[in-house]
Amino acid sequence: MMKLRMGTGVIVISTALLFLCLPFCSSSVPNDPFFGIAPQDEKYYKSSDVIRCKDGSGKFTRAQLNDDFCDCPDGTDEPGTSACPGGKFYCHNAGHVPTSLFSSRVNDGICDCCDGTDEYDGKVTCSNTCWEAGKVARDKLKKKIATYQDGVKLRKDEIEKAKSALDKDKAELLKLKKEESTLKEIVQQLKEHKEEIEKEEEKERLRKEKEEKEKKEAEEKANEEKSAATGEEARHTNEAGKHSDAKDYAAGETKYEQSDVGDSYDGATDSPSSEGSLLNEVEESVKGAEGEHAAKSETDLRVEEKKSSEEIINTGNDASENTEGLSKEELGQLVASRWTGQKGGKQSGEAEDAKKTEEQEDLTSESNNEEYEGYASETDDDSNRYDGEDETEDDFREEERDDVSSSYKPDTDFEGEPDLSDVVATDNPSWLTKIQRTVRKLFKAVNFFETPLNQTDAARVRKEYDELSSKLSKLQSRVSSLTQKLKHDFGPESEFYSFYDRCFESKQNKYTYKVCPYDQASQEEGYSTTRLGRWDKFEDSYKVMAFSNGDRCWNGPDRSMKVRMRCGLKNEITDVDEPSRCEYVALLSTPALCKEEKLKELQHKLDSLNSQQPEKHDEL
Amino acid sequence: MKNKTQTLPLLFFLLFFNHVHSWKKEEFRTCHQTPFCKRARSRTSSTSTPLIATDVTISDGNLIAKLVAKSKQEETQQNTNPLLLSLSVYQNGVVRVTIDEDHSLNPPKSRFHVPDVVVSEFQSTKLWLQRVTQETLDGDDSPSSVVYVSDGFDAVLRHDPFEVFVRDKSNGNTRVVSMNSHGLFDFEQLKVKGEGDDWGESFRSHHDKRPYGPQSISFDVTFHGADFVYGIPEHATSLALKPTKGPGVEESEPYRLFNLDVFEYIHDSPFGLYGSVPFMLSHGKQRGSSGFFWLNAAEMQIDVLGSGWDAENGISKLPKNRVDTLWMSEAGVVDAFFFVGPTPKDVLKQYTSVTGMPAMPQLFSTAYHQCRWNYRDEEDVEHVDSKFDEFDIPYDVLWLDIEHTDGKKYFTWDNVLFPNPEEMQRKIAAKGRHMVTIVDPHIKRDNSFPLHKEATEKGYYVKDSSGNDYDGWCWPGSSSYLDMLSPEIRSWWGDKFSYQNYVGSTPSLYIWNDMNEPSVFNGPEVTMPRDALHIGGVEHREVHNAYGYYFHMATSEGLVKRGDGKDRPFVLSRALFAGTQRYGAIWTGDNTAEWDHLRVSVPMVLTLGLAGVSFSGADVGGFFGNPEPELLVRWYQLGAFYPFFRAHAHHDTKRREPWLFGERNTELIRDAIHVRYALLPYYYTLFREANTTGVPVMRPLWMEFPSEEATFSNDEAFMIGNSLLVQGIYTERAKQTSVYLPGKESWYDFRTGNVYKGEATHKLAVTEESIPVFMRAGTIITRKDRFRRSSTQMTNDPYTLVIALNSSQAAEGELYIDDGSSFNFLQGAYIHRRFIFKDGKLTSLDLAPASNGNARYPVNTVIERIILLGHASGSKNALVEPSNQKVDVELAPFWVQRKNSPAVMTIRKPNVRVTDDWTIKIL
Repeated sequence: MMKLRMGTGVIVISTALLFLCLPFCSSSVPNDPFFGIAPQDEKYYKSSDVIRCKDGSGKFTRAQLNDDFCDCPDGTDEPGTSACPGGKFYCHNAGHVPTSLFSSRVNDGICDCCDGTDEYDGKVTCSNTCWEAGKVARDKLKKKIATYQDGVKLRKDEIEKAKSALDKDKAELLKLKKEESTLKEIVQQLKEHKEEIEKEEEKERLRKEKEEKEKKEAEEKANEEKSAATGEEARHTNEAGKHSDAKDYAAGETKYEQSDVGDSYDGATDSPSSEGSLLNEVEESVKGAEGEHAAKSETDLRVEEKKSSEEIINTGNDASENTEGLSKEELGQLVASRWTGQKGGKQSGEAEDAKKTEEQEDLTSESNNEEYEGYASETDDDSNRYDGEDETEDDFREEERDDVSSSYKPDTDFEGEPDLSDVVATDNPSWLTKIQRTVRKLFKAVNFFETPLNQTDAARVRKEYDELSSKLSKLQSRVSSLTQKLKHDFGPESEFYSFYDRCFESKQNKYTYKVCPYDQASQEEGYSTTRLGRWDKFEDSYKVMAFSNGDRCWNGPDRSMKVRMRCGLKNEITDVDEPSRCEYVALLSTPALCKEEKLKELQHKLDSLNSQQPEKHDEL
Repeated sequence: MKNKTQTLPLLFFLLFFNHVHSWKKEEFRTCHQTPFCKRARSRTSSTSTPLIATDVTISDGNLIAKLVAKSKQEETQQNTNPLLLSLSVYQNGVVRVTIDEDHSLNPPKSRFHVPDVVVSEFQSTKLWLQRVTQETLDGDDSPSSVVYVSDGFDAVLRHDPFEVFVRDKSNGNTRVVSMNSHGLFDFEQLKVKGEGDDWGESFRSHHDKRPYGPQSISFDVTFHGADFVYGIPEHATSLALKPTKGPGVEESEPYRLFNLDVFEYIHDSPFGLYGSVPFMLSHGKQRGSSGFFWLNAAEMQIDVLGSGWDAENGISKLPKNRVDTLWMSEAGVVDAFFFVGPTPKDVLKQYTSVTGMPAMPQLFSTAYHQCRWNYRDEEDVEHVDSKFDEFDIPYDVLWLDIEHTDGKKYFTWDNVLFPNPEEMQRKIAAKGRHMVTIVDPHIKRDNSFPLHKEATEKGYYVKDSSGNDYDGWCWPGSSSYLDMLSPEIRSWWGDKFSYQNYVGSTPSLYIWNDMNEPSVFNGPEVTMPRDALHIGGVEHREVHNAYGYYFHMATSEGLVKRGDGKDRPFVLSRALFAGTQRYGAIWTGDNTAEWDHLRVSVPMVLTLGLAGVSFSGADVGGFFGNPEPELLVRWYQLGAFYPFFRAHAHHDTKRREPWLFGERNTELIRDAIHVRYALLPYYYTLFREANTTGVPVMRPLWMEFPSEEATFSNDEAFMIGNSLLVQGIYTERAKQTSVYLPGKESWYDFRTGNVYKGEATHKLAVTEESIPVFMRAGTIITRKDRFRRSSTQMTNDPYTLVIALNSSQAAEGELYIDDGSSFNFLQGAYIHRRFIFKDGKLTSLDLAPASNGNARYPVNTVIERIILLGHASGSKNALVEPSNQKVDVELAPFWVQRKNSPAVMTIRKPNVRVTDDWTIKIL
């Protein structure tokens, strides 16, 4: 690299030199009028005696070129002096890479070019270090090229694999969608039949009731009081039925309300108004705070208490902030924490936060939210809209879905990837045909106009309907997850396809960092996990993966992470850093970044470096 | 459903967040909760004990008198002794009045006189009074004693009722500044605690034993011929002090002077902040300026009384054009200084003749500083440093906050984060840059910490009321505080800065003193208890406001020692007191990234300047919170004009180094910083002016235009020196602004060169490129238009002269140069030129005294460019004498580094040396 000298040394030398070059020391003007010009620009300067400023702002004479006075604001006329703040100085750096410097570096007493040409006013002497520096640079470059050469191959393989996998995904999706619509039709038919049956059953019931009533009426003409009681009873039964409906509905409502509370708690972690919610943390923290007040004399603070006194601040209830009961240390810590947003060790404070949020996540958002997202995308799915079903139908379906989801609740199916083994894994188109056949048979067998209804037939329809609609919903969720997957940006050449459903881990001290592209990034310490961000997008022409909206920092922003990628032979997180509070940066080396163009560029660079090696590298 | 679940937590969060970010008002005492203030504020002239002056004599060149109760009966009733008054007169219109208990009557304890604030040179300007004239004032029965102050001014001690004032003989003997004109003077004398006396006071969970009982002092001060009063920093409030009490005034708290570490202070409040300078200036169209300074380091509360206020019943009987004030202090003595003015600059000169001239700063420290809590480790430091180079943004100083230490033990390094501090500093220094580390006054109570061990053994800590080392809580946890009142302890502390003692320090490292109010997290009002004890039995209540000052002094003197007396110290302090200007720079503490805080930074910095503390600034960007890029850019554009220009941020904020907000914003910030670097020669010349006259670098408009009423309460705009007027932009997406340009002469837009009429308010379109800055016709300033990595590399760069011609085609300006770091300028090693443009000719004159001869500062720099704004002729040439060279005159860009900068008349390459006498004639 460049050689640097002590600033104070420069001053001493320059002060000494001042005496030597009195009275007029014009060494800040270079001897060569074309000094500091890049080779490709020389023609521009040499072609005429009056030269235009490159920005078109004016022109200057040959005599004004490098005369240490700025005539063009863009610096065209002073490539070799520091007169124009906007100018650039070219150092040839024979033996190394040529560079362009800000002209403010010219004659500033610091050697910037390895060939030392930027310092010529005699105040410092810069030795030429280009040869050594160049050699180091070339060696480094060679290594890099070697990595790229292997990496490019790996990348190509990846891309090939990704392409066929993607095609497979797409084909599967297409197939699933077809099956979905067929199955939907069948289910619809079944449903209609089921409703038909139910209508019949209802009629049957009413008829029977009527019959019975009539019978009873006849019977009880003798005893009027008794008959009245029976009527009453019947009405009761009816109402009970209604009641139980209402109860179901209410139960649904309660569920949603709960999840609301949970979510709001998520945001306002320490809000005192969550009091009375069902969540344990709140109770715990309230208890903690009470404990704090009670334990006035206790000086040895346990973590729990630390947390709770932090809460006191967090509530920020100005008027009622009560510091009277605190010990001296507690008061000191409390006031200090206003600036630091923490108590005691910073890490423990953060871990605390993280833990809380994590627990919450488990309780509420994880299961619920994901479900909702699934629904949202399903509803948004245009194909539904084109099914030509009318609005009432849609409404009905909505309800039906709710039913389905709640009935699936205890099932593990919805927790992760839906299990479609019975529907999809067969990968055999005949399963659908079989079903169609079965249903057709069923429809033929069942005589819907027979009265009274054949109870076995009715049960079969109902069972078939239940089974198939559950199959349909599984199928739909598979379609939606596949659609979701394919919506992702896998890069211009799908080179990031293999990142889907994968995580990269790196251990740094006590933390384990986990980067899961298309999903989230997190920091784990023991059993606590802090979400550093949810997948956002690629940035900087696919060189950076951005994760945003992670867990909130106390008194700070939402955590976020940027993963910068560079060419490497393995997918590997090599460095994690937090340059600004709660803004993380990681380095991922991956073959996906080993681009052929870049390899060519590097090779070209090496070639030009090699060609520039001068025989006599001691020229200044 | 989805929406609902997301907005709800957001709402919750906002509510909760607003609460977290708030000033803890209830933690600080109001006047009503402060017994002495409550008593003094409710006193009227009829409830006060009237005093008379007796036994008036001349002794040791002073006027001496006794103050006794008017009726003997009251004296015995109040059980009070006579007080001793001494009045002395100093050159240049300064009168000093001290009032204390009579030591010959053996008071229980001697009251505290603040040492080491009045400079020793002041004593030598004393005029030895030879005689006193007796004169009966109009309407009085008894005589008053009159002594001569200076041409045109007398000091008068009125005997009955007791009153002290300075009067203007040339103006019909009218009063200028007077004390006790309303008879509110009250002096609570010390008492011996008797049986059953409980003088203790409680506030929240803290108890103050107050072993000497109430000992407060209060009195009224009137500024005559004044429209407004200014000064008494530090408050976040307007420049012209709003009345706190009086007819038609919504009564507020008095202005409080009590050094406090205030978490998230609000932008408009008379509440006391980190520093206290009990010095007030008045200004009025009629009479000009006068000043009053009360040297007292105890808690002070000052009421500015609304026009028409009356000491008895608030009814207006008094003439307008006066401002009455009420001064109340918890302890100490009366040691009051009257300054006669009559111009604002005269008052500054008079005040700094007492408390000292602002120190000449290191040149590098007048450039741009980059700070953050915290630059985390050596890698971070190197990264930030290299980014400045990558973006071609100059900066001079990189700062390290508390996290660089090993467990908040100052003078140590966290050896994981900073394993090679010397090498790190050397790398920075190789680019001519400097570093600053923080050293706070709280010492970690850790027996493995040698500093603590030594301080404990030597008994150097402040004691609690029971005589044990006071143990408070600050960053390191349990901490003690050195007793900086003691010269011995200060000297010991100073030695800790030697390169041997401060391991890992190098000559390019300077110091930052924070938390020196002192901040004590578990103390009453976040500071030290008032009954803590300093050497000589001095109670903390008596010395509180000066504690940070002594700490700053000790650090600053330590750095002088470190450099063998050859290197100027640079120490930034947060706490301040009268005299702080001698020791270093001040910043306005933990402000917030809000437009209102940008706005209030101007009156805050102006007020510090009026109190002599010229080298000051506010954190650019705002300490708390995340500024929008627009606010950050506007803050840089304004902050580039603060005398002390530093960006700083809290550790919870997002990174905000200048290059992080996109290309355009980087460009705008770079340009703002460039303007400061271009103006460094002008700033340095102004720092020298402050150093010799006390007149601040950044000035209220009325200091330059004292007779223009329109400027008296303007604190949106300010002057840099006598030449540049700067108007901040304080609102988001501003399209237009109004700027009042004072004076009969015109002004030139400092970006475009366009001319604007004086004595007029101009509606201007606002650009994003810069805030409005104008150059006053008739002035000359020097610029350096080449931008380097830091100011260090600019030493030999040539100058640009900008000449703004007035209506008679004339202008004047000065340039001061020295080596920028040593004390050699005191021996005359400097260059001081005056440039005069008149009759088409520019002349450079030597202002340095001839005796400087051999000690001259040798410099070879030339003037490469002379810009003439407002020149009438279209000349093509100029003649340089004595070298008899012809040089070109042409149209060239006003700012060479800016695209499309308008062309202005420019003398090209005169290349005359700044050290020489020469003339340049426009042909």
